[in-house]
Amino acid sequence: MESATVAVGHGHADHHHGPPEANDSSRIDRQTLGILLFIVSEVMLFGAFFASYFFLRVVVDPPSWPPHPYELPVAVAGMNTAILVSSSFTVHYALESIRRGNHRGLKLGLVATWLLGATFLFIQINEYVHIGFSARDLGFGSIFYSLTGLHGAHVFVGLMLLTFATIRAFRGHFGPAAKDHLGVEVPGIYWHFVDIMWIIVYVTVYIL
Amino acid sequence: MKLNEAAVFKWVVIVGVAAALIIVVTLLTRPLVGSMLGLVLVIAGGVYAYRWMRQRWR
Repeated sequence: MESATVAVGHGHADHHHGPPEANDSSRIDRQTLGILLFIVSEVMLFGAFFASYFFLRVVVDPPSWPPHPYELPVAVAGMNTAILVSSSFTVHYALESIRRGNHRGLKLGLVATWLLGATFLFIQINEYVHIGFSARDLGFGSIFYSLTGLHGAHVFVGLMLLTFATIRAFRGHFGPAAKDHLGVEVPGIYWHFVDIMWIIVYVTVYIL
Repeated sequence: MKLNEAAVFKWVVIVGVAAALIIVVTLLTRPLVGSMLGLVLVIAGGVYAYRWMRQRWR
């Protein structure tokens, strides 16, 4: 009995090296599941910041919002919103291109997305420089910089992911099959999340 | 399972259209009205997202 077990064990070792095969019972690939779980945790993080924002605005209830004499650059931020929303379209174009085997479209879409994201970040930093208040100015200043800064950090991370994806695209790493362009698909999903969060941040902080 | 970038992109469009509606209503009326509309849309969107996710996961 013992010798039989040893024989089976040796047979198995001959055919399989390294870690055990991943369980394929899930109907979603590991990379996409990973980014979705990450996004769920990020939604909770943003939710905590939004809770702080609404606490300051509704429960503390200051006489005016934004408190006098502070003003928010609604038009500039609106233009920035349009830029970021456009970048979701370009990353979608990049992915649609590679699904059809169009490598040129993939590169074009990724470069355009990167440039639009970098422009967004540049305008946001410029806004911080000229806005006229700091994170130390009342709860309003703190929550404004916290929310927009948290989002800006996510844009920065997204740009890093897009940088790697773009470099890989120029090296010809991606193909039309779904499993062959996960390196763009996952940053694309993350970028859409960042875009959706900004739309919510913009409407909440600048408009309402 | 069809949960990919194209499916998430659809949500960018949905949220973008909803935000545009809230912005227009807020600018035409008062921020409180826009906030109420936003709350209604968030609840409706949450219900739709839950049903959408269950459908996608099949």
